[in-house]
Formats: sequence, structure tokens, C-alpha cells
Amino acid sequence: MAIAHPPAAEPHLERLERIWEERPGLLGWLTTVDHKRIGLLYFFTALAFFAAGGVEALMIRTQLLAPNNGVVGPGTFDQVMTMHGITMIFLFVIPMATGAFGNYLVPLMIGARDMAFPRLNALSYWIFLASGLLIYAGVFIGYAPNAGWFDYVPLASKQFSPGPNIDFYCLGLIFNGISTTAAAINFIVTIFKLRAPGMSLNRLPLLCYAFLAVSLALVFALPPLNAALIFLELDRSLGMHFFDLVHGGDPVLWQHLFWIFGHPEVYIIILPAFGIATSIIPTFVRRRMVAYALVALAEVLVAFIGFGVWAHHMFSVGLATITTVAFAAASLVIVIPSGIQLFAWIMTILTGRPQFRTPLLWIVGFIVFFLLGGLSGVAFAAIPFDQQLTDTYFVVAHFHFVIFGAAVFPILGGMYFWFPKVTGRMYHERLGQASFWLTFTGTGLTFFPMHIVGLLGMPRRQYTYAPGMGWTGLNLIESIGAYVLAAGLALVVVNLVVSLFRGAPAGDNPFAAPTLEWSTSSPPPPYNFPVIPRVSSPYPMWDVDDRLVDVRQLTEGEMVLEEGHETPTTSVLDADWDEVLDMPSESPWPLAVAAALTAVFVMLLTKQVIVAATFAAVGALVVARWHAQEPQQA
Amino acid sequence: MNEVTRSARATSGEAVARVARLRRSQPIGWWGMALFIATEAALFGTLLSTYYYLRLKSPVWPPDHIPAPSMALPLALTGVLVASALPMALANRAAQAGRAAPAWWALAVALGIQCAYLALQLHSFSSDLDKFGLHRDAYTSIYFTLLGAHHLHVLIGILLDGWLLARLPSGLTNYRALAVRVTALYWYFVSVLGTLVVVTQLAPSW
Repeated sequence: MAIAHPPAAEPHLERLERIWEERPGLLGWLTTVDHKRIGLLYFFTALAFFAAGGVEALMIRTQLLAPNNGVVGPGTFDQVMTMHGITMIFLFVIPMATGAFGNYLVPLMIGARDMAFPRLNALSYWIFLASGLLIYAGVFIGYAPNAGWFDYVPLASKQFSPGPNIDFYCLGLIFNGISTTAAAINFIVTIFKLRAPGMSLNRLPLLCYAFLAVSLALVFALPPLNAALIFLELDRSLGMHFFDLVHGGDPVLWQHLFWIFGHPEVYIIILPAFGIATSIIPTFVRRRMVAYALVALAEVLVAFIGFGVWAHHMFSVGLATITTVAFAAASLVIVIPSGIQLFAWIMTILTGRPQFRTPLLWIVGFIVFFLLGGLSGVAFAAIPFDQQLTDTYFVVAHFHFVIFGAAVFPILGGMYFWFPKVTGRMYHERLGQASFWLTFTGTGLTFFPMHIVGLLGMPRRQYTYAPGMGWTGLNLIESIGAYVLAAGLALVVVNLVVSLFRGAPAGDNPFAAPTLEWSTSSPPPPYNFPVIPRVSSPYPMWDVDDRLVDVRQLTEGEMVLEEGHETPTTSVLDADWDEVLDMPSESPWPLAVAAALTAVFVMLLTKQVIVAATFAAVGALVVARWHAQEPQQA
Repeated sequence: MNEVTRSARATSGEAVARVARLRRSQPIGWWGMALFIATEAALFGTLLSTYYYLRLKSPVWPPDHIPAPSMALPLALTGVLVASALPMALANRAAQAGRAAPAWWALAVALGIQCAYLALQLHSFSSDLDKFGLHRDAYTSIYFTLLGAHHLHVLIGILLDGWLLARLPSGLTNYRALAVRVTALYWYFVSVLGTLVVVTQLAPSW
């Protein structure tokens, strides 16, 4: 329920507004440290990359629409297919989930006024943007990465890929990894330390648990990828021999390192979706989540066990049988925390009073695809089955059900769900439901037949196929499905863009949702909360007397913290009051550091090592200047 | 709620010391550094694992005609690096007690030791380069990459020291005291790292 501000609050609100307001116009966006504005920057950038990845997907499906098709040649197909994978994983899902949703929502959900390190947050965004542009620069000069998103050696080694394509891959992803690591650390510290007093760990919203698990996984999963990328780039540019069998290296080393990253990555992609589901479900079924504690533990456990299963991507490379069996067993174990969550979502819906409005529909679609994709995924733990189907379209079918159907559906549902909060206007309900059904149908049509063509033996990553293999009709259905899917996604965008201008005013909490982001106005003011909210459960908006306490405190000027950019910090476990933090205000330095780093990576790409080192030194000087501005001077 | 501390506003020695005394849980800056160390530890975990992976795959280690590394100098140097943790710890103590000048001097001593360490390491790095070169085989690849990554981390620590030495003369603030603390934490990590790296580097000679 929304409670109007009392007249006595006005002077406080004006004062907070004056303190937290940022510069207007373009300059404001370039120097912003406001987590909401950075979240929006992430959102639109990731959406642009989603569109690019979508166009690549449509190119793939158009090429495979008929046998011996000639829309794109084999060389272009390799680039398009590789860029589709890189774009969707590194430039869309992770930045959209953590960068956009996480940035916008996590501080609001825990009752904080910003992220723990606001300027680092800005730096993360600018590096993400620059790394995406760097990788796409390869596309525009015709040297896009072309060895698949997991970039196996020896195909990716200098001998077989002499062009700069793979250098764009290595350097672009190392650059991108800096951004993601910084963001992950920022989320962990924010969730540990910036929760409103009273929000002990057993009152943390489940979405924040999911983002905490994702961030912890990223901190430990990205280094193996970065090490592998550094090894490959050293092999390629300095003539080292990490992956070169002739000189004592080992190509399988790449596979190990890549998948030590790559499998946790799968959970990194899907955990935010789990988190969004646990926000949308309680709201639209009008009850608390079943088994809060088990779900929270399961979210963290999924991220943890995800580190022990990587070799199930390598069952066909000839590892020792004992290794293979151990990893198969570990892969079965991970079903348990996933199952706990699945049952909890379903039981919450069944025991509540569900209203199937647009956001909940996307979550139902998510549960369907997660179940189907999860079941086909567990099947891969059966080693002979895996060996039989490796590199067929069955794998493509499985991971698109999981990564598109399960990971992206909640992101789309979340766009509808938080649209009123971010814009202050309602989306169009009928059109929203239509966009769901269109996308749902398109997803099924595109990816379900891939199971069958996979079982029939169609290999993945091939730019075409011969007629008369029994694959033709199914491929046609898949391609039609891809266009239906694209139409569904276009309808989502149309709905949200039109609603931005024509939607009915939403009010603070149009869905009577339970978490703190709904306690503030829509869109939220720069300072997020006029009063640091009181919290006594994971569903603070359903604790009406706490909200009345907020109003009383605002009237009396308590817990307003209006001496500067202030937000409280609390202890990690119990969220006991610790102290008041002075937060930095807008700063041009993150953008400057990102620019210097961009120059470093461009120079490395063109093999100008001395110039690159010079720019790194400039970057270090800018970092020193940045930190000469201390919080008490802000 | 009346005894709210605003630690960032402690801009004198006494105020900094008071904050350090009253603090009940780790500040966000400490958490940031702790997590940075965690991710760097994972990076070095990968580098060290790669070393042993390649070693297990190779019938002879180090491969043909590369002399096993000599023990004396690397071990002595690592001893020096670990010893520099002592002045870092003293600098931290002085800073938390609100005494800027002793903190500055302890940092300067630590920086001197660390710079000498890095210079000697780089010297032996380049003489190894002359001896057997980067391009020879998988052993030289991981050997130079592992050492290079370690030296880069020492360099980052030296830059942090330099920043502190430039800032401390204009007085102690809570922000700077915290910076001393997390820089000391970083150097403890680099000392452990240096020990693990040298143990691995000398593995063929044990």
C-alpha cells in the first residue's frame, strides 16, 4: 500500500532532492554515479546488443531455412554464429541481468541509497560499453571472432586462425571481464553492508540472494576464463606454447579452463532469472514464497555446485573414465537445489490465488521451459547419451530452452513487472499477454524441433545441410518459429515504448508487491528513500505498521540522513546499525579511466605494446586523481 | 541511533584513532579489497594449476636442455618480500593509532624493500629470457607467465604505496587510514602469493 507523504515532510524532501540531484543533460549521464541511471544505461546498451544478437540469430535461421541455401557463405556463417553466442552471453544476458536489473533493483530492495562503490559502478558500465564496441569493431572491419563462442584450440590458434578475429575475442573478453568482476564485487559488498538496519540475512529478498550467488560465482569463475584468454593471446601474439601439442602444450587445457568458467557461467546466466521469478510469483499469487530458507540456500548452492561439474562438457574428448564418472555424478547432484526451487515456485503458485497477468505469464513460461530444458540437461549426465548427442542440434535445443526459455523469459517478465516503477506508467495488459503468447509459441516452434533434428543426427555449427536427410521440414519450422519469436519480442518493445508515452499513471505500488522498491515514488527520486525504511521481514511492503513508522519518522525528521550523500551501513549477518556512510557524488574520472583502458586494449590489438603501456600509465594517474577526492569532501 | 559514527568525517589523527577503536564491523573498503584478493587468488590458482597440469603431461620437466632454476637467489628474494610485510604492518598500526608520520616512514621503508625486490626479480627475469627465451616450449610459457603475473602484482602494490606516500604528508584522514589498512592487506596477500610462486618456480630443483 502506498502512504502519502505528510505536509511536514516537504522541507526534508526538498533538501534531499537538492543534495542528491545530478547535473542535467548529457554531461549528467556521462558523469553519473546514480545506480538507477547506470542501470538504465546498462539496460539500453544491453538491449541494443540483444537486437544485434537477434539479427544474427535470424541470419542463422534464414540460412538454414532450406538445404543448400546460399544467404550467407560458410565464412560469414562462422562469424555470425560465433558473434550470436558471444553477444547473447557476454553482452546481453549478463549485463542485462546484473548490470541493468541488479543495478536498478538491488539498492532499492535493500533500502540503500546507492551501490557500495558508486564510481566503480560507473566504471563497470563504461568498460562494458567499450568492450562491446571493441568486439563489434571486429564485425565492422570484417574480422569478427569465428571459432565458436567457446573458441576451441587448435582451431583458434594462430596456425589455423591467422587473422585478427580471435584477437578481438581474447582481448575483448578480457576487457569485458574487468567490468564484470568490478560489478560483482560491488554487488557483494552492497548486499553485505548496505542493507537497511533490521534486514538481517534471513530477511534479504530472494532476488538479492540470487544476485549475491551470481556475484560470488563471477568473482571465482572469471579468473580461469581470463587466464585461458591470456594464455591464448600469448600463444598467438608472442609465440608461446600453452596449447601447442608439439611443444609440450595441451589443447585440452583450453577446454578445462574454459569450462571451469563456462559451467558456473550457465548458472550465472540463469540465477538472476530465478531471482526475478521469486519477486514476481509472491506478488501475483498474494502469498509469501514457500520455503524461503530452502530457496535462498538452493540459490547459493546452485552457484557453488556449478563449479564442480565442468567436465560434463568434455565427455567426448577422451578423459579418464573415473574422471568422467565423477563429473557425471556431480552433474546429477545439481538437480537437487534446482528441484527445490522448481517445487517451491510451483507450490507457491498452487497454494496462492494466482492472477495470470503479464509478468506472471512469463514466469509460467519460464517454469515450463526450465523444466523441459532441465530434463534434457540432466539426460546429458548419462555418459553414453552425451557422447551420442555431442555436437548435434539436440544440445542446441537443450541450451536454448534453458538460456532463452528459462533465463530470458523472466527478464522479459521483469521488464513488464518493473516498468511502472521505472517510468511511472502502466504497460498495456492485453498487448502484454499477446506478446507473451507470441514469444512462447515462437520459442517452442524454434527450439522444440531442434531436439528431433538433433536425434536424427544433424550436426550443430554447420552452415548448411544436404536435402533428403529428413531435416528439411523441421528446419523450415524452426526458421518460421524464429520469425514468430522475433515478432513477439518486437511486440514487447512496441508495448513498452507506446506505454512510456500513453500508459496510465501507475502510482507507487500498482501490484501491491512486497519489496522495498515499491515503497518509494515511481520513478524513484535520486535519493531513493526519504527515510531509511524499517524492515522486519523479507516482505517489508506487506508489513503495514513498519511503513507507518516510516511516515512518522519522516514527519519528525528521524532517519532522514540529510547532511550530505548519506546512507547507513550495517553488520553483515544481523544488519545491526554500523555507521553512516558519505557516498561520492558525480565524477568524470570513471569515464576517463575507461577511455584510457580502451586505448590500452586497442593498442594491444594493433600490437603497439609500448603505446599500450603508456596508456596504462595514464590510466593509473587518472585512478590516483580519482581517489584524491575523498568522501568527506564530496 | 544517537551515537551514529560518520567515520568518513574523521580528518584528524585523534578522530581516526577513535574510529578505529570504536569500529564494530569491517568497513566497505576492507570488503572491497578482500573480494579483489579473492578474485586474484582464483587467477593465481589457475596459473599454478596450469603449471602442474602441464608438468604432469610432460615426460621430462623442465624439457630438453633447460637448466633447473637455481635455488639461492629466488629463495632469498622471497624472504625479503615476506619481510617487507613487517614495515607494512607497522605502518598500518601507526595509521590506525592516528600517527601519520610513523606510518609514512614505515611505508617508505617497505616501499624501498619492495622496489629492490622487484628490481632484482626483473633482472633475473630478463637474464632467464636471454638464457632460454619465451618461445621454446610449454615450460617457458608458463614459467614466464607465472613470474610476470606475480611481478605485475608487486608493481600494483608499489603504485598503491606511492599513492599513500603522496597523500599522507597532508595529514591523516579516515579514508587514508583505511587505504593504508587495505594496502597492507594486499601486501600480505602478495607475500603469500610470492611464496607459492617461488615454491612452484623451484619445483624442478627440489
